[in-house]
Amino acid sequence: MGTPQEPRLAVEISGINLRNPLLVSSGTFGNGREYSEWLDLGMVGGIITKAVTLLPCNGNPPPRLWEVPCGLLNSIGLENKGVEAFLAEDLAWLNRFDVPVWVNVAGFSDEEYVAVAGMISDSGMADAIELNISCPNVKQGGLHYSSSPREAARLTAMVQKAVNLPLYVKLSARTADIKEMAVEVQKAGADGLSLINTFPAMAIDVETGRARLANVSGGLSGPALHPIAVLAVWEVAQVVDIPIIGMGGVWSWKDAAELMMAGADAVAVGTLNFVDPEAAFRIAEDLGSFAARKGFESVSELVGLTRRGGIV
Amino acid sequence: MNLGSKFSAPIIEKSVYGCLTRVVFGVDQAYLAEPGQFLHVLCGSEDGRILRRPYSLFDTASGTASILVKEAGPGSAWLARREVGEEIDCMGPLGRPFSFSIFDRPALIAGGAGIAPLIFLYKNMCSEGMEPSLFWGIERSGDYGDMPESILAEFQVRIASEDGRVGFKGTALELFTSQQPEDFSAIYACGPRGMLIELTEIMIGDRRARLQLSFEERMACGVGACKGCVVPASDPAGSYLTVCKDGPVFEGKELDWARLKSRVWQ
Repeated sequence: MGTPQEPRLAVEISGINLRNPLLVSSGTFGNGREYSEWLDLGMVGGIITKAVTLLPCNGNPPPRLWEVPCGLLNSIGLENKGVEAFLAEDLAWLNRFDVPVWVNVAGFSDEEYVAVAGMISDSGMADAIELNISCPNVKQGGLHYSSSPREAARLTAMVQKAVNLPLYVKLSARTADIKEMAVEVQKAGADGLSLINTFPAMAIDVETGRARLANVSGGLSGPALHPIAVLAVWEVAQVVDIPIIGMGGVWSWKDAAELMMAGADAVAVGTLNFVDPEAAFRIAEDLGSFAARKGFESVSELVGLTRRGGIV
Repeated sequence: MNLGSKFSAPIIEKSVYGCLTRVVFGVDQAYLAEPGQFLHVLCGSEDGRILRRPYSLFDTASGTASILVKEAGPGSAWLARREVGEEIDCMGPLGRPFSFSIFDRPALIAGGAGIAPLIFLYKNMCSEGMEPSLFWGIERSGDYGDMPESILAEFQVRIASEDGRVGFKGTALELFTSQQPEDFSAIYACGPRGMLIELTEIMIGDRRARLQLSFEERMACGVGACKGCVVPASDPAGSYLTVCKDGPVFEGKELDWARLKSRVWQ
């Protein structure tokens, strides 16, 4: 499990042992390679790779980024080199590190999701799959699945049949009822949930009257998203019994602790990776200190603490 | 190329040239960077900006590295107001630098704040015994304080101002094209997107192979991970390159100029 860290930080989800509960979220850490010069990849709890599709995908035209107070809008549009190159070049490379890997899978049709997830599973190089049904930046890229619990459940069931790995489904908070969505996806065979994806958003340059992003809308990430994520985790944790990876604007150990107290079994750092490549490791250490200060044997004791009446 | 690192550096000197602030950081004696590379600087702000901002290195000397900050928004305004002694969180040097051969006869063309990496390049070329020609275009003579005068005193630079009060009256490109552009075997440019596009219209066909252009784009990670800061690539068709990792310096032939022209961002 990588570099030794205090036992208090170790967690297990879906049979996967993490040296600490801090993962890095999809799209914010490349496929690990870009950050391998900046930290020992074995120091993070887990890596969720950037979305991979069946065929290479150029992504959206620029501008793709716009920063807002306490947040970032992006419309990358699933730029990636396709599953074959991903397996041969990136996942094979990432396997040399002693760190659990969730592969984020996206697609433009049912068949594509199933094909890519099957190839990832068959490769034997991934620990889990994260099904991206909530990317806000491509027209058929999944957001329609996440606006309909029935569609989300149908896709989850199809992909589950094709894989031999824990299947996590990444949900968006932009849905009528995230609890219903979570329940349906669990019934369809999901082994875990990632909560939450970026939230659809928009910014306009008032000097020109034009949208800031070439794609017009994008996904909002960063601290502005955090309280929305806390509520989503809180609500969903009460209606499902599969593990939850909480994510959305984690900027400090307190944000990570909040998500865990709301019900997340592990936490992923996203946009903060762009500012501090070592953030996940640093937050894990700080979370360990907090758990020690509160007298917890394991950080897992934080999970769902608010529901149990808080720290007594 | 040098691998970057993340470090906290004190501001040891600061000088204001009109709209530009030169910020000099104290860095490790062994710190190495090449012209065209950038520092990714964590700026604060009063309204909750969260990302780093990229600044081309203006120069590095033993134990120092400096950048030119032009106020363009809350982050750069915050940075320009820091005082000597304050510690700033930096990542870098990052990105692909300019490359040159000592057998070249180079022209360096800067528009506005695009002067930063080209002064650095100019100095490196001079120390290799080359004789580069540097053209700097500014909008109005007063925009950059006394920097034009101090640069003129130190370097063989030709300045163009649009108001004609310093040097040639016109743009950097008009000045360049008035100087037998055919004579130059390599051309290096940094400036507004429109200027770079115009330059490729002068340097058509095979001559684009002689161009090295430094691009600016809004950036998040700075290390090639997020794919946010892209420009259209010529090969394969429809693909993109990241400004932070594949660039910020590109050869003219690497980019798809038709797509670049379809939307001028700045």
